[in-house]
Amino acid sequence: MKRLFHEFLKGLFHENPTFRLALGLCPTLAVSTSIVNGFGMGCAATFVLLGSNIIVSSIKNLIPGKIRIPCFIVIIATFVTIVELTMKAYFPELSKSLGIFVPLIVVNCVVLGRAEAFASKHGVARSIFDGLGMGAGFTLALVLISAIREGLGNGTLMGLVITKGFEPALLFILAPGALLVIGILIGIVNYLTSLSPKGRG
Amino acid sequence: MEFNQLLMIAISVIFINNFVLSKFLGLCPFIGVSKETRSAFCMGLAVTFVMTASSIITWAVYSFLLKPFHIEYLRTLSFILVIASFVQLIEMFIQKFSPALYRVFGIYLALITTNCAVFGVAVLNSEMFLKTAGNFSKALLFCVTQGFCAGVGFTIVLLFMSGIRERLELCDVPRPMKGMAIAFIVASLMSMAFMGFAGFRF
Amino acid sequence: MPDSIFTVSPAPHIKSGLSSRKIMYLVALSLLPAGIAGVYIFGLSSLKVIALSILACIASEAVFLKLRNKDPMVALDGSAILTGLLLAYNLPPEIPFWIPVIGGVVSIIIGKQIFGGLGHNIFNPALVGRVFLQISWPVYMTTWKNPRWAVDAVSTATPLAREGAASFSYMDLFLGNHGGCMGEVCILALLLGAAVLLFTKIISFHIPASFIGAVMLFGWIFGGEGFFKGDFIFHLLTGGLVLGAFFMATDYVTRPLTKKGKVIFGIGCGLLTILIRLRGGYPEGVSYAILFMNAVVPMIDRYTKTRKYGFVQG
Repeated sequence: MKRLFHEFLKGLFHENPTFRLALGLCPTLAVSTSIVNGFGMGCAATFVLLGSNIIVSSIKNLIPGKIRIPCFIVIIATFVTIVELTMKAYFPELSKSLGIFVPLIVVNCVVLGRAEAFASKHGVARSIFDGLGMGAGFTLALVLISAIREGLGNGTLMGLVITKGFEPALLFILAPGALLVIGILIGIVNYLTSLSPKGRG
Repeated sequence: MEFNQLLMIAISVIFINNFVLSKFLGLCPFIGVSKETRSAFCMGLAVTFVMTASSIITWAVYSFLLKPFHIEYLRTLSFILVIASFVQLIEMFIQKFSPALYRVFGIYLALITTNCAVFGVAVLNSEMFLKTAGNFSKALLFCVTQGFCAGVGFTIVLLFMSGIRERLELCDVPRPMKGMAIAFIVASLMSMAFMGFAGFRF
Repeated sequence: MPDSIFTVSPAPHIKSGLSSRKIMYLVALSLLPAGIAGVYIFGLSSLKVIALSILACIASEAVFLKLRNKDPMVALDGSAILTGLLLAYNLPPEIPFWIPVIGGVVSIIIGKQIFGGLGHNIFNPALVGRVFLQISWPVYMTTWKNPRWAVDAVSTATPLAREGAASFSYMDLFLGNHGGCMGEVCILALLLGAAVLLFTKIISFHIPASFIGAVMLFGWIFGGEGFFKGDFIFHLLTGGLVLGAFFMATDYVTRPLTKKGKVIFGIGCGLLTILIRLRGGYPEGVSYAILFMNAVVPMIDRYTKTRKYGFVQG
């Protein structure tokens, strides 16, 4: 059990897909204009990660090595289609604001990366926790970035106004702001890791 | 009329809504393969080629397969499949017939298979031009233009970025900011400069 | 590195006999007439903007240097003052006090120090700050004030915003008798400073000439109804063109090295400026144009640098 829990935790911190592995940055930057969007995207990606990890780890022995990547992609694309249709049916607003980035989960390096690097080598139980951990880490990073961007760029958090006198800097909800925030955050993470005695993770 | 529309698509995709700097598509190669101008140029060429070709293929799949049978919801699945297998096919083809070319471009093709910019252009095409019932040939023209120009826009910013990063090698960047972090800051500043094109009209 | 006697810095090495500190102060000095004109035209509020901007630049530079364990006194080498001055000149004369402060901090930290300080920055720091402010608070950045003797002194459009174009004489535009950014309106004062820079060979004519030439040429061709009917003198005298072409595009660190490169750089700036002016969403494009071309400089340098003869290529 402790081991499973470890698989979960590593995705949150040591191998955080966004800050440590720099995977899946495209959707991270594009949809992080508000916390709601970021959280929705995080959940969608977590679902796909979990689903693809379960399927890949349970049929890993049936997949021929040479065509494993196309097989993974088909599995992932299936789950993405499920998410796409579900979101369109039950959360039409969210689906509209996330736009093409929902189908783009297919090419999110985090999902394919975990299928290739973890699920195809480990058992189902561990893969489930790996998927959940990575998904949670991804969601955490997304919510953090979108909180910064929504707060600075729109003056709100989850749609609530922070303070009256604060004049939001529009730049932060636009493209340059996203790149600026992620650049500075990566810098901060690098600095913090260089401080810790273990060094590079 | 049609020419104007094509010009508008080109300018929009290269400058106003540049794939990398305003849509964040293809960020991984943008950060990963921009350390050196030569490889950046090769990557740009490969991406442009694959984008143009996959625009045509996905147009065909959508117009002749998905639409007639009313299975548009399979778009994601079918697009990624044809793009991925197409890139693999090209890779094998080049490897067989031109080993010299393969030595230059092979590694980039392998990286492109799951590039979000390539897949993104196909999805965007389908959202913008294919869903609306128009005639086939016009939609094809628009798709190819968008695909090609998206590739050109990608190549341009990748080249600028590689030039800047070669210069950054000599700069006294604070240690935590070295590498990826400063690359993102540069991208952000480039994106600010590209904001100047916002609101262009013709 | 700072304590060695040799300063190793990337490509733009200053060749004239003056030290970089002296040059910085000379450029700042040559900007003085335009500042005096701005304060005279718009009143004391513009002096406040200048002071705040310069202070913010120096303070943030000193703090950043201190954090990197470098000598914070380097902040007084003149470059931070120059950045602050140029930033202030690019702002409307009456804005909330925190705008020049944030602009100064962004200019220095994001525009310069994060790349390693003076000589390492890729983009012109003052323009980074200016564009940051322009995108973040577009309303404040485009609320202009009329000259203090005008009847309604509150807000006005710059001549470049299309509707106001007809009502200014060339003389008004030349002397700065209209709304605009505080340092860019008085062309006469700017030219005075530019003459000093050209005369002391601190800047060469290549960039300003090709920049302004391109703006006038393309403004003439495309600026009017039909071809070759544009008002090119109007395009010369309005907006930040003169300020940008002489004082910002010529920045030592962010311009190309060779003469050929400089001409390409200038023409690129001019073409983009006129494109944004005529077709873009913003009334003025000088800042964006220079910032864009800053990003292209390493490429320009790569393809225009003098070839070494007697070596085998490759």
